[in-house]
Amino acid sequence: MKSVKLALFSKMKVMQGMIDDFLDKVSNGGMKFEQGIATFLEYGGDDVRCLDKVRELRALEMEGNRLRRSIETRLYTEMLIPDFRADVLALLEDLNFLLGLVEDILLAITVEKPEVEDAFKDEFKLLTATAVKTMEAAVLAARAFFRNIAAVRDHLNKVGFHEEEADQIATRLRKALFDSSLGLDRKLHLRYFVDKIDNLADEAEDAGDLLAIYSIKRSL
Amino acid sequence: MDISLLIFLSSGLFLGWSLGANDAANVFGTAVGSRMIRFTTAAIICTAFVILGAVISGAGAAHGLGELGKLNTLPGAFMAAFSAALTVYWMTRAGLPVSTTQAVVGAIVGWNWFSGSITDTDTLSKILATWVACPILGAFFAALIYKLTAWAINLSQIHLLRLDMYTRLGLIVAGAFGAYSLGANNIGNVMGVFVFASPFTDFTLGDLGTVTSVQQLFLIGAIAIGVGVFTYSKRVMMTVGEDIMPLNPVGAWVVVISHSIVLFLFSSITLEHFLAVNGLPTIPLIPVSSSQAVVGAVIGIGFLKGGKGIRWRALANIASGWVTTPIIASVICFVMLFFLQNVFNQEVYRDVRYSLSSAVMAHLASQGVEVKGLEPLVGEDISGGANFRERIEAHSDLPRTAEKQVIDAAEIHPMKITEAALAELDREYILPTQAAALEALRGDAFEHRWQLAEVLSQSSEAWRRREDNTLNKAFNKHLSAQLDYIFRLLSSD
Repeated sequence: MKSVKLALFSKMKVMQGMIDDFLDKVSNGGMKFEQGIATFLEYGGDDVRCLDKVRELRALEMEGNRLRRSIETRLYTEMLIPDFRADVLALLEDLNFLLGLVEDILLAITVEKPEVEDAFKDEFKLLTATAVKTMEAAVLAARAFFRNIAAVRDHLNKVGFHEEEADQIATRLRKALFDSSLGLDRKLHLRYFVDKIDNLADEAEDAGDLLAIYSIKRSL
Repeated sequence: MDISLLIFLSSGLFLGWSLGANDAANVFGTAVGSRMIRFTTAAIICTAFVILGAVISGAGAAHGLGELGKLNTLPGAFMAAFSAALTVYWMTRAGLPVSTTQAVVGAIVGWNWFSGSITDTDTLSKILATWVACPILGAFFAALIYKLTAWAINLSQIHLLRLDMYTRLGLIVAGAFGAYSLGANNIGNVMGVFVFASPFTDFTLGDLGTVTSVQQLFLIGAIAIGVGVFTYSKRVMMTVGEDIMPLNPVGAWVVVISHSIVLFLFSSITLEHFLAVNGLPTIPLIPVSSSQAVVGAVIGIGFLKGGKGIRWRALANIASGWVTTPIIASVICFVMLFFLQNVFNQEVYRDVRYSLSSAVMAHLASQGVEVKGLEPLVGEDISGGANFRERIEAHSDLPRTAEKQVIDAAEIHPMKITEAALAELDREYILPTQAAALEALRGDAFEHRWQLAEVLSQSSEAWRRREDNTLNKAFNKHLSAQLDYIFRLLSSD
């Protein structure tokens, strides 16, 4: 009996650890993305510091994928949380999508190397930071879903707040770009990346909306 | 063991199988249906604990049905059990939810109707009252436990996976308790009608104690329940989980715990004694419906959540089954008894005769019963309890309790204290002083139960009933059971 209980207990602890690890990867991915954008704006896309950030973010994304698949497999083979399994897997896939998105954006920036005027760099940094805050709040909401269902709502409120702020910054930046004397090609190129970064906040908000429904289903 | 006895007991085994097939789902249905526990694990735990509950604690509720109808022949008992089992099986096959307890009650009433025996309305009212009280109690316990559980889970901020693990363990423990309560409470349905004809003899397991003949009878019944669990309950388990409203695993655990508590309350002799000793109202020990307790618990949780998730149509179907089941069982029993008696020439009931002799009249007068109106019946030999009661009501206006006293006193139950009977006496169950009082009456014969009880009471304090109060309730109840055993043992019918 004791060995059965220990086996059950250790399986549960391993799964808990894997889910926490995965959420750490997503959270780190957001921070790494923010650092990557700052490095790009400071030193350019060819700088080794920027390329290092891309490599590190890619490694995080691959590790996140591996963890997600592992968690999915174990949840099904060990028949854990049968009533919430589908919701948990959907949540992990939404967060994994965000991790993949930040990796795509940073890679695209370092490949396409848009020329960002000094006047716009601060706004780009601010937009990135706000989009990452949205993503971070979504990760915190996901952590709360597993442990403290009452706190999910608070974090989702922050997701909505930061997403709104990201939209405002993005709109302001687009206006500033098209009001400037830059050529149309550069305006469109820069606007493309504004849209991509703003989209990160939108996707984080979408993940939060679904999480709100999962948490209603989970509450007793 | 006589082969005919085995044939007659088979109906009880069929009923046990039906109970296992149908009622195991009440205990493990939601756990297995939601994939929290594997079916094989559930079946093993259910069977083991049903057997333990039936053998250790089955006696309490088994006596309850005996007061409703005194089935006095083996073919009659066979047909009552068979009718109940057939009703349960037929309705389960038709996809209609059914209560085994209600089927058995209906069958016993059908036997009473056929044999002209009295259906004790007090006992029937008590049973019908439990059919109302049982789901209400289930709802109350479920709502209370669910509220407390939700508060504790939210306060503890337990991880979802850890909660999942605890819920699984909780479902197993609750299921084991539920299976124990099911065995303790419902073995009376399965084997209660055969208690008077138990073919087994007591045997001693050294220091571990004695296994009585009734316990052995219940063991066979419990094994039949276990076979039903393994062979037919899986299909029912997979569908019972969400009939009335969807439940999460924590809700499922609350339902099983509440159901188990309700069944335990209606079968625990220890609890009854505790309440009696402390001057509290006791709960009648009667088999109650496992299905009703579960339905009540689910509704209790439903109402706690505002009542929106409850499928009222499903509930109406279930409730209609509770009404039709006893009626159908009663009709089937009546019709089948007719065939068994007239086509197969089996004695489905032993005619009970009543006589108001002068001795009986004097006894009733000493009990304070107004006997003047009964004088026209003195000396008459009247057959059938219902017939006798009609004659009493035609000549007098006695209150119900006095009427019952007259019926009990006038019933002819010939007994003789023979060497053979004394040799068979269970000296573990009957005290040495009690046995000595019986031996002193060797060779004596009695026509009425009260005569023997009076003589024994006069000759030995061990046979004397104590003053009716809460402290003496357990003693008097045990003494009544001992006297019932002696009356059966010494019967010369």
